Parts: sequence; structure tokens; C-alpha cells
Amino acid sequence: MAETNGKVDRRELLKIMGAAGATSVVMTSCGSSYGKNISGGKWDKTISLATAGPGGNPDWKPGDAVRFLPPERIPTSGSASSALAGLSKEKLLTIYQRMSASRKWETTMKDLFVGAKDGLYGSFHTYIGEEAIACGVMAALNDDDYIASTHRGHGHLIAKGGDLNKMAAEIFFKETGYNKGYGGSMHITDMAKGIMGMNGIVGASFYLAAGAAIRAQVRGTKQVGVAFFGDGAANSPYYFSAIRSCANYKIPAIFVNENNFQYMGVPMATVVPTKYISDYTRGLDIPHYVVDGNDVSAVYAATQEAVDWARAGKGPSMIEGITYRWYDHSGFAGGRVGTDGAMGLPYRSDEEVRQWMSRDPITRYKTWLLDKGLASQAELQKIESDMDKAVADSIAFARQSNDPDPSAGVLNTSAGGAMPATQFFNRKGLVKG
Amino acid sequence: MAKKPYAFAQLEAVALEMRRNQDMVFFYEYEVPVATSPTGEVLDLIKEFGKVRTSGRGWAIDETWLVGAAVGVAAAGSPAVVRLPSMTTLFGIEYVYNQAGKLRSMTGGQASMPFVLWQGGGGRTKGSAGQHTEVGQEGIYANLPGVKVVVPSNAYDAKGLLIAAIRDPDPVVYFDYSEVKSGEQPDVPDDAYEVPLGKGIVRQPGTDLTLVAWAPATVDVKRALPDIAKAGISVEYIDPRTLKPLDVDLLAASVRKTRRLLVVEHGHYTNSFGSHVIAEVVQAVPGAKVRKIAFPDVPGPGAQGMMAWLRPDAPKIIDAAIQMMRI
Repeated sequence: MAETNGKVDRRELLKIMGAAGATSVVMTSCGSSYGKNISGGKWDKTISLATAGPGGNPDWKPGDAVRFLPPERIPTSGSASSALAGLSKEKLLTIYQRMSASRKWETTMKDLFVGAKDGLYGSFHTYIGEEAIACGVMAALNDDDYIASTHRGHGHLIAKGGDLNKMAAEIFFKETGYNKGYGGSMHITDMAKGIMGMNGIVGASFYLAAGAAIRAQVRGTKQVGVAFFGDGAANSPYYFSAIRSCANYKIPAIFVNENNFQYMGVPMATVVPTKYISDYTRGLDIPHYVVDGNDVSAVYAATQEAVDWARAGKGPSMIEGITYRWYDHSGFAGGRVGTDGAMGLPYRSDEEVRQWMSRDPITRYKTWLLDKGLASQAELQKIESDMDKAVADSIAFARQSNDPDPSAGVLNTSAGGAMPATQFFNRKGLVKG
Repeated sequence: MAKKPYAFAQLEAVALEMRRNQDMVFFYEYEVPVATSPTGEVLDLIKEFGKVRTSGRGWAIDETWLVGAAVGVAAAGSPAVVRLPSMTTLFGIEYVYNQAGKLRSMTGGQASMPFVLWQGGGGRTKGSAGQHTEVGQEGIYANLPGVKVVVPSNAYDAKGLLIAAIRDPDPVVYFDYSEVKSGEQPDVPDDAYEVPLGKGIVRQPGTDLTLVAWAPATVDVKRALPDIAKAGISVEYIDPRTLKPLDVDLLAASVRKTRRLLVVEHGHYTNSFGSHVIAEVVQAVPGAKVRKIAFPDVPGPGAQGMMAWLRPDAPKIIDAAIQMMRI
């Protein structure tokens, strides 16, 4: 078998697998009834599950970065899926409202961080550019379903109805924040809304969502647990561990991969030996979906099927949404006040960023709503101005809130409340020289 | 109240709590949760509580999953116990460290964590060598913020501490060393009861020397006590039972009386939990004379001669007690 740069030459491998009949085995094992392409149309023709298996990419070679899924294959407007058209107008507008809120809230935070007037500190991982995945998934969930988020999860919270004021206050580390200033951007949580939290450990979402799903099985509630994860987390051992056990025991968990092609500053193709993340688990007898992650309707359609599947007791599904983050991994290198996207980053080209920004999921959803006559220009503008105000209000709320009492640092570790401050001086009453 | 096998008493604790709380789960790997009492009563958790609540379907050998999924169940709001019979890997510690112990704090108090890691351990036994003779992970876990640690050394405490751990809304690591399960055991009530977390016990009152040991060093201490008494030394022997939160008040009160503290443990010498016991006591009782006997900083060897030579056994404890009375 030929090797290039220490890696197996996949074209060579393909021939061998084909000769052994292995290619057809790969395709059969995922099952034609499971493997579905939600987007339809153009997407179908360029990328289908039938050619997504390990043996199906003769034109791809290691080190190809994003070339194997060039952004021009993602439409610049509209949706190839009509799944959302069946929802009520109220629900359609709620989706737009949350996509809009997510974009505006994070963009405003970006301006505040870059503008440096509020003295903001800590990490901030933007979700900008990926909003269709959170909102498409959440449109298919009930309020009492669970989600476990990532470090890049502001969009997940807002899509599930998170409170902008409490989120903003947490970014400012104020006592009125969701986490009372203990957590900051990377840990925002709303247990009351089934949001098990953003999490600073890459790959933490899998077990939290699976555990919540097991609990739903125990209680017979038909709830599902959704684990969001990036292409980076797919390489953590937790991923295969969790999806394997969920598949084996038909645990109602849904694994939603947000494949944005870059983990921190490393292009995905540098570390991923398959074309898609979903190729990793094709051997498991569970539904796999690859969807245009900038198409909220396509994401919704896949998630709705996965939710129905899980509630029917059939187990987990894997959904891979192809998308892109407009900014750097964390913080705002290459970002500027008043303009969108981070330019000049060493691990990607500005041209690539511009191509993806011209395929903005929110603009696409907006044009789709307008083209289908499902909403008027005036209705959408009203939502946008309402969200502008809600975001501005959240910043004002955060600014006006109090810092946490420094001594609260010894609270909230145990249910009993106090991890007493005696741990940094001798125990009171026992010091008798 | 009855004599019952150690393992039965432990499983009884789980069964009682699972009857009390219909949402509670028990996860295990490879050792099926079934036990029989001398009177023939069979406890079969899988049969009684079904496969979903007991992982009776048989989880894969994947400690990360077992611990992580149980943490997920607990984070979502239901008590979850996971039993890892062998203290060979440390895979489970990641989820205890970064999730179970931290989620309540990171979420500003939103997340509760009624999670118990029931961690088995073989102890310093001959013939296993290295990975299967580990003792002392209690010191590693006790260092993790938000995590409580208990170390029962008899069947009564084993049941009562397990129930207390399950009812506690914070993560508890429950160490289950096999050496303490044999030998004479106290009676164990049939009903549910709690041995409160954070409370040690004076096993033997005395005036000359405070001796502190927890499972599995209690086995050696018990053997040593008669000969120490014959040497004319009055030992106050304390089993802390919970290492975190540690019952410092009980230890300090004793040492204030005896002015001498000897800690015996089977964990590795450097940075062992015994070091923390000494640090707490000398801060509370300045001038106290303190010593520690631990297992040297070597993996446990397989050959019985080497293992016996290294083990902090009764002759070494007697020797240390006599020497301490001379300082």
C-alpha cells in the first residue's frame, strides 16, 4: 500500500477496499433507510451519503484543508429543505428572533471586547456564523428536553430561550449573572430550561447529555438529551465511548456535530482522516445525517427525525452540520468594531472567510421566509429592532449590576454552602500558640 | 440487627435507597450486583430494579463512560452510584475532577451532584504486583475541589456511609478496600441508617498516643493494639471514616490530650493523605510530636517476601509506638 507523508494513500486504499468488496459493506452497514440527505437539491448532487464513506472520496487527500468541502457548494440564499414550512408562523418568527438575538448579542459583545471600554476579561468563543444549527435543533425540541453545550455555546442558550440579561451579566462576572460570576462565558448554564451548561472541557457534552437521556429512560418521560460538539471534540475519546454505549442501549441521545472545519488554529483536515466526522461512526447501526449547517430548515428536518426516532425508543442519532465560524477560536484577533468577521488569521484565508460570510445562515433564512411569503419585511424588521433593544438592555443590565462579594468565593462548592475560609488561616478557636 | 456479609450489607444500602428513590440508578462493570445473606436472602438489584436502572445490560469496560454517564444522570437531578470494582485505572477521575466536583461552583450553585463513585481496591496483597495492589487513591481524590471522600473499615460503616453518600447532594468517592471485609465484623441493622459524613470515631480511648488509621491500615492496627498495650502504652485509636471533610476537631481534641500522633496508612509516602492529617493536627495543636508510617514510594511488588517487608504491618506499628514514647 502506498504511503504519502506517513499517511495511507486513500486512493490506493480505495482500490484495495473495492477489490475486497469493502466499499459496499461500508455503505450497507449504515443502511439506506438510515442514511438520508436532508438538504435536497444542489447539496444532494454534490455530497450524498452514498459517496461519503471512507471509500468514496477518490479526489480527497490528507492535508486538503477545506478544499474537500468548498464553501461554494453551500447556497448563498434560501433553503433546499421545505421542512420548516409546516410550522406555525409564530414558531417561524421565534426562530428568526432567536437567530437574530444570538447574532446581535454576540456582535455587540465583540464590539465591547474589541472596544475595550468595559474592561471585559476572560474567554469568549463566538458562535457567529453557526446560528442555524442551534436554532434548527431547538425548533425540534420540547422545552423540557436537555441540551449539553460546548465552550462555543452562547447560541445554544439563546436558541433554547436563555435570558440575555443574565447571560450578559455573566460575561461581566456580575452577581446577577446566570452563574453569579462563578462561571463566565464558557460555563453559562440554565438548569431550569434543560440547559446543562456550556463547558470548558472539550468533549464534556457527550456524557452529560447521555446521562440526562438515561434519566429520561428511567423516568419514562420521552425526553431526549442533545450533545453539541465541534469537529475537534469528535477526536476526544469521550465521543466514541458515548455514542457506542448510546447505540448499544438505545439511549435517547442526539449527537449534533457542528463541523466548522477548524479546531482552535488547526484546520480539521490536518487531524481528521475521513471526509466527514460522521464517517467515524458509520459502523454503528444508528441514523447518520450530513446537513447544510447554514440551512436552518435542513437542520430542523434532520433533528425532527432524530427526535422522533429517540422518543420512539429506537436510540441515538448522529447529525453533522457543515458550517463555519466567522471569528477566531476565542477572543477577537482579526476582528474590528463595526465590521463582521475576523481577517488575517494565520490558519485560514480571508477569501475563505468571505465566502462563508456570503452564505450567512440568517440572511438565507430571511430570504427564504420572504420568498415563500411566510413573513413580511416589516415583521422581520420589527423583530430586528426589538432584538437590538433587548441586546442593549442586557448590556445596561450587566453594567448596572453588582460585582459578587469576593468572600462568596468559598460558597457554592458544596450544597452545605460553606467551604470555610478557615482553610487559608489557622482554625479559629484552635490556635493557642 | 444481624451478622451479615460485608458485600451484602453494601448492596442492601443501595437497594434500600433505590426503593426509596425510584429515579436512582446504579451502574457497574463486570461484577453483577447480586448478594446472598447467611439466611438465604438474595439481593438481586437487576431483578428488583430492572435493567435500565442497574445497567444490568452490562456496560462495556469503559470507566470513563461509566463515571461520566453517572455524573450526567446526577447533574440532571437523580442520585447515581457507579461501582468500579478494581482500583487499576484512573480513567474515571477526569469526570470527577472536571465535572462532578466543579459543576456546582461553575454554575453558581445551579447544578446538584448526588453522585457516588464506589471505588474498589485490592490492597497490599501478594501476587498481584503494581497495578492491582494500589492503595492511596483516596489522597488523590481528596485533593479535588468539591469532592468528598469516605473510607469505611467495617460492615456497619460500609452500609451507613454508603447510604449517607447516596443521600448527600455532593459527589462522594467511597473507597472499598477488600482487606477490611474479612475478619470479625460488627452487627449490621437491616434498616437504612446513616453514618454521618465528616464524623470520625474513637475506636479505643487512651491517654499516651493518638493513633490514626483508616481502611485498609486498620487491619494492621488491630493486630498491633494488644502488643502496644502490653508495652504499657495507652493508645487512643481513631478511625476518621471520612477523609474529606476531615473531622479535625476529633483528632485535635485527642492530640491535645496525648500530645503525640502516629498516622498509619497504606498509601504511598510522598504527599499521602496522612501528610494532610499531620498538617491539620500540628496547626491545631502546636508542639505535638508527629510521625507517619506509609507504604514507600514504590509500586507494590508481586513477591510475597518483598510485599511483607514493605507493608506498614503490626511489628512496624508497635515499633513506632514504642519509639514515639521516647521522643
